[in-house]
Amino acid sequence: MKCFSRYLPYLFRPPSTILSSTCHTEADIISTVEFNSSGELLATGDKGGRVVVFQREQESKSQPQRRGEYNVYSTFQSHEPEFDYLKSLEIEEKINKIKWLPQQNAAYFLLSTNDKTVKLWKISERDKRPEGYNLKDDDGRIRDPSTITSLRVPVLQPMDLMVEATARRVFSNAHMYHINSISVNSDYQTYISTDDLRVNLWNLEITDRSFNIVDIKPANMEELTEVITSAEFHPQQCHTFAYSSSKGSIRLCDMREAALCDKHCKYFEEPEDPSTRSFFSEIISSISDVKFSHNGRYLMTRDYLTVKVWDLQMENKPLETYQVHDYLRGKLCSLYENDCIFDKFECVWNGSDSVIMTGSYNNFFRMFDRNTKRDVTLEASRENSKPRAILKPRKVCVGGKRRKDEISVDSLDFSKKILHTTWHPHENIIAVAATNNLYIFQDKVN
Amino acid sequence: MIMKGQKRKHPPEEVEVSDRSSPMWESQRQFVFSVSLNKYHHGQELPEPSLRRSVLIANTLRQVSLEAVAAPSVDMEVSPPPCSSSSALHESVVTAKQHPAETFSNSHSALVSCPTVTLNDLSYCVPASNAPLSLKDEDEDWGSMSMDSDFSLSVAISSILTALDSTIDGSSQAAPRTPLRSLENLSAPSDGGVAWVKQGLRGYGGGWEQQEEGRAWEGSTELMRCSYLSELTVEDLFQDIDTSLLERDMEVLGLIGSGGGCPTGDDLLRYLPPFSSSPSHPFSLSLNQNLKCLPSLSSFGPLSSSSSSSLPSLSSPHFSSQNHVREGLDLEHLMEILVES
Repeated sequence: MKCFSRYLPYLFRPPSTILSSTCHTEADIISTVEFNSSGELLATGDKGGRVVVFQREQESKSQPQRRGEYNVYSTFQSHEPEFDYLKSLEIEEKINKIKWLPQQNAAYFLLSTNDKTVKLWKISERDKRPEGYNLKDDDGRIRDPSTITSLRVPVLQPMDLMVEATARRVFSNAHMYHINSISVNSDYQTYISTDDLRVNLWNLEITDRSFNIVDIKPANMEELTEVITSAEFHPQQCHTFAYSSSKGSIRLCDMREAALCDKHCKYFEEPEDPSTRSFFSEIISSISDVKFSHNGRYLMTRDYLTVKVWDLQMENKPLETYQVHDYLRGKLCSLYENDCIFDKFECVWNGSDSVIMTGSYNNFFRMFDRNTKRDVTLEASRENSKPRAILKPRKVCVGGKRRKDEISVDSLDFSKKILHTTWHPHENIIAVAATNNLYIFQDKVN
Repeated sequence: MIMKGQKRKHPPEEVEVSDRSSPMWESQRQFVFSVSLNKYHHGQELPEPSLRRSVLIANTLRQVSLEAVAAPSVDMEVSPPPCSSSSALHESVVTAKQHPAETFSNSHSALVSCPTVTLNDLSYCVPASNAPLSLKDEDEDWGSMSMDSDFSLSVAISSILTALDSTIDGSSQAAPRTPLRSLENLSAPSDGGVAWVKQGLRGYGGGWEQQEEGRAWEGSTELMRCSYLSELTVEDLFQDIDTSLLERDMEVLGLIGSGGGCPTGDDLLRYLPPFSSSPSHPFSLSLNQNLKCLPSLSSFGPLSSSSSSSLPSLSSPHFSSQNHVREGLDLEHLMEILVES
C-alpha cells in the first residue's frame, strides 16, 4: 500500500475552508456542481433554486499557500417554486443541472435548469459607474430642467466591484416530463434539454420554440418500459449526441441523418451476465450519467455499481469497467427497500481523460486511474481530515476480519451520499458536493 | 445497514440467490414482489411521481411476476416472509401466484399479458380532465358507481377468493367450510353471492375472455367449499375483532346514536372510503387499489357475541345494481378479517 500511495498521482488535501453551513435546511442541499471551461469559476445549484458561483483567487507571491482558493463570487436565485395550474402540481425549484457557455467577452454565461424551465444567466462585473448626468443627479433624482445651465459629459468613476446576474433568456413550456440534463453544443449556438421521454434542441437566441429530436414516448403509455436518463453533445462534433436509458443502453445519434433522431446510428449495450442476474438487474443497470471524454473518443457511463468506459468504435461491450462499490451487490434487497438503489450518481473525467471519478456512500468518492489501473477511495468529511493534510485513502471491509482503519459495509451511512462531483478542466482540482457541503480539493504541490 | 432513524424490518436473506429451486429464491421473490407493490402504490399516491422510478418499479414487478410463472411449483408449506400487516393480503396474493391452480393461472396470465402494473397513472402530465384519481375518488358518491367499477371490484373479489383458495393445503376440499357459511349468509345465499360475481364479470365489455370469467367464478365457488377454516367457528373468528375503535370512529362520524351498539350495514359501508373507479386499470392494479381503500381491520377488537350475530345484517340481502358494490365491499371487508386472523 505504501507503493500505491507514492505512485498515486493525486494526493488531495482539504482546503483551508470548507464552504458550508453548520445547520442546513432541505433547500441547502447541493444538487449540481460544474466548473466553467477555464476552471476559473465553479457554479453550484441547490434544492432551493439558488446558484452560487465561486471564483478562484489569483495567485499571489506574498501568500503562496493560498494558491487558487475559491471564494464566493456571485449568488442569485435562479428558479422559484412554481405552480402548474393545469395539472395542480408544484414545480420544484431545485436546480438539476448547470452548464457554462464558453466565454466570449467579459461576462460569463451559464444555463441552469429545474424540472421544467431552462434559463440563461449572464453574470457580469461592474466596477465603474457613470457620474455627471445632466438630467438627473448622482442620487438618481430627476433634476429640474429649468435649473440646468450648462452641459457636462458623464464620466466613469470607479466603484466597489459589484457582480450582478441577470436572466437573459427563459426557455420554458417545452417539457412535459422532468428535465434531467442539458448540454451545450460545440457550435456554441444550440443546446439540448432532455427529459424522461424527449430530447429538445434549442437555439440559444430563440426561446419561443425548440425542435424535438428524440421522442421515445409510446402511443400507449402502458407500454412504456424505458426512459431517457441523460444526454450529452459530443465535445467536437456538433451533429453528434448520445443519450442513455434506464435499461443500461446508450444511443449515439447523428442529427444530419434525419430531423427526428429516434433511429440511432450506434447502440452501446453490454449483454447481461447470467451469473449475476437478480431481481434488481435492470434497476442497477440503469445509467444515471453519461459523459464524453474531452478528446471525444470515449464515452463514460455510470450505473448503480459500476463505471464503464466505452470506445465509440466498439458497441458490443465497454472498454473498461470499474467497480465502484461492489460490496453493495449483496445488499440490493435492503437498498431497494430504502430507495437507495434509485440514487443517481454522476461521473466525471479529468482534464487529460486519464482518471475518472465518481461518488459513493458514506461521503466516499472513488477515483480510477485508467493507465495504471489503480483506484482510491477518499472521504469528504470534516471529521476525518485536518486542514491541509493529505487525505487518507479509505477502505471498506467486505467481510471477515476488519482492520483498524477499515469500515465495514454495515456501518456505512447511506444518507451521506456523494452524487455530484466535478473536475477542473486543466488542473487537479476537484469539487465534491456532500449533501449541503461543498469540498474543494487540490493536489499536493511539491 | 439501515438509514438512520428508519425502523429496522426483518431483512430478507442478504445473499442474492440465483438458484430458482431454492426456497431462499422464492422468499426473496415474494419479498421483492411485496416491496415493489408497496412502492408502486406509494408512488401513485404522490402528486407527481418520478417517471424513471415508476418505470423501474413496474418493470421489476413485471419481472417478478414472470419469474413466478416460470418458477417450478413450490411446496405450499414454505412460509412466506414476514410482512407488515398492511401487506398481508398482498402476501396472500403472492402465495396464490405460486400455486399453479387452474383457477388462478388464467387470471395470472392475464396479469402477465396485460401491460400489468399499468403506466396509465404514470402519464401524470395529461390534461386536467384526467386528473389524479385520488382527487376524484373522494368526491364520488357511492351510489353512482359505474358498471366498470363493478367489474374491477368483482375482479378484486375473485382474486381474493382465488388467492385464499390457493393458500389452502391440498387436503379435503369437499368438507364444508363452516365459518364461511356465515359469510355466505351475509351476502345472501351462496349461489346468490357467486351469481353477483358472475354478473359483475359479464358486465364488462372488453379485454377479458369468457373463459377467464367462468374460471374466476368457479374459483369463488370453490372457495366456499373449502375446508381451510373448518376448525374455527364464527365466534372464534370474530373473537379478536374489536369494534371499539370502529364504534369510536363511527361516533365521530356521527353515524352512531346515543344507543351505541353495532352500526348498521349501511352506516358501516358509508364509513368505508370509496375505491377508485378506474375501469381501464388492469387486474392487479384494480385489485390493490380496492384493497388499499379498505381500513385495516387489525385495529378492530373482538366483537361481542351479540354483535357477531348481528353481522349477518350488515349487508342488505337484497340485490340491486346499487347494492352490488356495497355487498362486494362487505365481502371484501370480511375477507380481510379472515386473512389477517
